[in-house]
Amino acid sequence: MPQDPLHLLCIEPSFPGRLGAVADWLVRKRGYRCQFFFANAATPEHWPDSVGKGLELVHFNVGGVAKEERVSWTRVLERGLCYAYGCWEVLEMRRPRPVDVVLGRSAGLGSALFAPIYVPGAPVVNFFDYYYHAHAHDLADEAGPDTAVEYFHWRRAANAMDLIELEADITPWTATEWQRNLYPREYREDFVVLHDGVDTRRFTRSTTGPRTIGGRAVPAGMRVVSFVADRLDKLRGFDRFVALANRLLRARSDVLCVAIGGAPVRRGLDVQFYNQDYGAQVLAQTPPHDPNRFWSLGSVPPGVVADLLTISDLHIYPSRPYAVARSLVEAMSAGCVVLAADNEPVREFITHEQTGLLVNAADVDAWEKLALQVLDRPAEFRPLADAAAGLIRNKYAQDVTLPQLAEVFERLTARSPQRLSSRP
Amino acid sequence: MDLLFIHEAFPAQFGHVALELSRRYGWKCRFLVEDLSRCPTPTKAMLETLDIQRLPVSAEYRANRDLPWPQMYGRYLELCQATYAAVRARPELKPDLVVAHGGCGAPTLFLPEVLTCPIVNYCEYYFALGRCDISYRIDLPPAEPAQFYPRCINAIVLASLVDCASGYSPTEWQRQSFPQRFRPKIEVHFDGIDTELYRPRVVPRVIAGNAVPADTRIVTYVARGLESMRGFDQFMKVAQHIARERSQVLFVVVGSELTYYGWDKLHTGQPSFKQWVLSQGSYDLSRFVFIDHLFPEQLAELLCLSDLHLYLTVPFVLSWSMLDALASGCVVLASDVPPVREMIEHGRNGLVAPFFDTDSLAETALRVLNDPAAHRALGVAARAEMQAKYSLDVAIPQLKAYFERVAS
Repeated sequence: MPQDPLHLLCIEPSFPGRLGAVADWLVRKRGYRCQFFFANAATPEHWPDSVGKGLELVHFNVGGVAKEERVSWTRVLERGLCYAYGCWEVLEMRRPRPVDVVLGRSAGLGSALFAPIYVPGAPVVNFFDYYYHAHAHDLADEAGPDTAVEYFHWRRAANAMDLIELEADITPWTATEWQRNLYPREYREDFVVLHDGVDTRRFTRSTTGPRTIGGRAVPAGMRVVSFVADRLDKLRGFDRFVALANRLLRARSDVLCVAIGGAPVRRGLDVQFYNQDYGAQVLAQTPPHDPNRFWSLGSVPPGVVADLLTISDLHIYPSRPYAVARSLVEAMSAGCVVLAADNEPVREFITHEQTGLLVNAADVDAWEKLALQVLDRPAEFRPLADAAAGLIRNKYAQDVTLPQLAEVFERLTARSPQRLSSRP
Repeated sequence: MDLLFIHEAFPAQFGHVALELSRRYGWKCRFLVEDLSRCPTPTKAMLETLDIQRLPVSAEYRANRDLPWPQMYGRYLELCQATYAAVRARPELKPDLVVAHGGCGAPTLFLPEVLTCPIVNYCEYYFALGRCDISYRIDLPPAEPAQFYPRCINAIVLASLVDCASGYSPTEWQRQSFPQRFRPKIEVHFDGIDTELYRPRVVPRVIAGNAVPADTRIVTYVARGLESMRGFDQFMKVAQHIARERSQVLFVVVGSELTYYGWDKLHTGQPSFKQWVLSQGSYDLSRFVFIDHLFPEQLAELLCLSDLHLYLTVPFVLSWSMLDALASGCVVLASDVPPVREMIEHGRNGLVAPFFDTDSLAETALRVLNDPAAHRALGVAARAEMQAKYSLDVAIPQLKAYFERVAS
């Protein structure tokens, strides 16, 4: 098992983003020193523990078109190049040394693209999220005849940054087989497929004592039905959750539905609701049957997400086909019974009636029927939740997945001239 | 077969191919192009035979030709939109195959929204990260985009290459410029030299209206633009060396003052690389004839007069002029770089010397000029090879078979 510490240069447009937790683990568990370059940061309550203790944050500015709130979709790559250039400028100015390995994630914004100009010998590992298909997956599956053709043009154009990064002599890394298989056949063999893992310590199931969510007490005897997303958007199926929640609230008086997720919608692929408060619109159109039993908590710190998931009796994951959300894996880790939309990315994590329940996303009656069965007979479904938690513990816990990433780094740096020259 | 060719310019790589496919096999060949090209210019036969439609790009698009490198992909997408709109506006267009140039670039990205036929990409070139093409001239003052440009400019090529049914490159070296992973998708099909037009024959010894004495050796140099990637500065050094050693030599330089590739303006800080080069040395310009542009028939006549054709280039896509010179039976002395070596074997059908070794180039040139008869066999072999392997009669049937195979 590779245990040697390395000097890691992390680059991601946002901090902590996706790589923050990875860097944190490597610093805490392997003694890495990490400089994390970012353009935007979440508030400090979202930061991992090792910030300032081995994980140093370095801000870079972006210029040009990247400063504009909205730009024509035809400038999608230009925007990304502004991020890459902004990062390179600060690298040149700060000149962090040594750098054994670069870990980047662009999410279409290409921040690590020019890093090799500064550290030409260092190996680069790049995390890839999603390759757009013009008419398939996410919201495109449901695009109607009224959808503007430019939307499909944009989807065909949006992969440019991923393509040039894939050709930049890097090691591509993605979290799931489904994500890997979205990429053109020519690239698939190159990918390291490895989930970045869940910090399972945070999701110890609470079976005794008072139940609270962010300090708010859950009335005794209530069955908690949870929904968690970064944003309350259509992609993650907030509309489906509200429809189901209303059925459950009507059917049972002891149900409390809790949704976590912020606003506005930030995903460019959701052109209909981009930058709007989709959650508020859905709730205005289909108001909760009983507002007292429907809590919408907004964007909350990670601890509150853990509060909810560790007491949830039923977790709903109604996402359209898209890269699986961290919340699904966290819910499984927390020992929730998960009822999810049956689609390919979800099936990589959940086997129906073994580690959760899958349902045809369009069948609203089936959603309700299965949800009520779980709420009626929780003990009967507990083995599914236990199996899910076991699966995460054995396969998707940070302590399982990230040592494998450290192995990748070790292998790459072992033959890197950069590493050799930085050794005494 | 009904073919739709798409290219930034006409005729470029496709005009003569389409004309031959139309003449020989009765294929219907239509074109969507941004502009009619000045070099090479469309022939009367092309204009009469082929259906050529200009792409409806905006005046702003036409005006913004020199965009900064980060904006080139956006410009490409605008061209893709214009192509999509042009095809959509002509519902009668039902091609069996689209053949599109994929350099800068094949604007085919949105065509699958409106056409169902396969798309073939002309895979001209994939830029390298260094030691090649625009990154080769490290001897010149550095240009700021040099570090960044090669890392992003291939986005245009990749976007269309991923989606196309197949691609073809005219030479193996060009095919090899593409990432290994895409090479199985790319075939090599040369697009044909008109060996009837470019052939050795007796022509009047007149250049730019002036008679050239019989005892004067003629050294030719031809490039679309007189620029660093085509080694214009190196040529001038070689010419100066030759001129010092031999009095009876005339250097005929054909090419415009435009830079088509690379960053000569950034390297030199001057608008014309030619003028910058001339200002760097003391050249006896009475020994030179500079010609901005020649029509193919005129170029063919000039090459018939050439005692030595100098072809200097960094490792990059070969110029047609070198192949024209080989087909004309010229003795060609070229830069010793991989794309040239695919066509010229030193001492068999031409001569090569290192790009930067101007002394070696000049000494080799002088040996040819001092004893043309002893080197005549090189030109004869070059001509024979062009006829046997690269002529229209060889290339067009191969392209026809390839297009039919992909369309089916």
